[in-house]
Amino acid sequence: MNFWKKLKSDCAALSLDCCAASRAQSERLDHPLPRMTRIGLWLHLLLCKWCRRYGKQIRFLRHAAHEHQEDLAASEPQKLSAEARERIKRRLQEKN
Amino acid sequence: MQADTPSTPAAANAAATLSDPERWVDEHGDYLFKFALIRLRDPQKAEDAVQETFLAALKGGKSFAGRSAEKSWLTGILKNKIFDYYRKSSRETSFTDLEFYADEENDRFVADGLGKGGWINDQGPQEWPNAGENLDKELFWQTYRNCAGKLPARVAAVFNLREVDGLESREVCALLNLSESNLWVMLHRARMALRRCLETNWFGKQA
Repeated sequence: MNFWKKLKSDCAALSLDCCAASRAQSERLDHPLPRMTRIGLWLHLLLCKWCRRYGKQIRFLRHAAHEHQEDLAASEPQKLSAEARERIKRRLQEKN
Repeated sequence: MQADTPSTPAAANAAATLSDPERWVDEHGDYLFKFALIRLRDPQKAEDAVQETFLAALKGGKSFAGRSAEKSWLTGILKNKIFDYYRKSSRETSFTDLEFYADEENDRFVADGLGKGGWINDQGPQEWPNAGENLDKELFWQTYRNCAGKLPARVAAVFNLREVDGLESREVCALLNLSESNLWVMLHRARMALRRCLETNWFGKQA
């Protein structure tokens, strides 16, 4: 087989598919990837705009969650009930 | 209620401890409750966690200049209470929930034949133009909150600890009595599900 054909075939073999690539992009956020996986991922991302978007988006969601903890908490609609509020205050006064 | 230059340390102490607890509950009670409710998913447990937080804070005997420093400090105490809760409850029951979302991981990709492993045509990620501009919209956070709320409790706990709190994988595993490989599967599925939910309910609806 000629050199270029072999190279192309090797790259295709190394490259991850989208399913594996999305898994790899997620794991990359948590731990270093094995070298072959890293290479396979890089190859795949060169060609796949969907997976490039996927990686961007999960990194965006992580950043959003981490940098906006207050906004996230504040978005919870339920509040401390009046009854619980009073109960807690009383308990604190006992201890004070 | 100031926390600067009191006349004597004793006066400062008296002033700080007298009205602080009630004021804390009024100023920070709701926020702490919401924070806890998101994590614990049970209003009773959340109330207990908030109460424990204030009690611990009282013992600490600090006073702060500035509401936001106080809020951070109280939130820090609350987080530790929540961690204690996770530690205790994962000793009692196994934490893995791997059946959940097995489809999330698999159903978005072509199962067989040509294009195997690729995103199924309309399931692939869409563009999210100017995503960052949404971060100051209250409605965005409500949508985010609803999407995160759909995650099963254990998956949500894993997601919160890792993504929101920023704990290392190792630390999350120790807290929840999980293996690292299980952790990573749960995180992968949580991220996939959350991303898709937000795309469906927010980004996909932007003009």
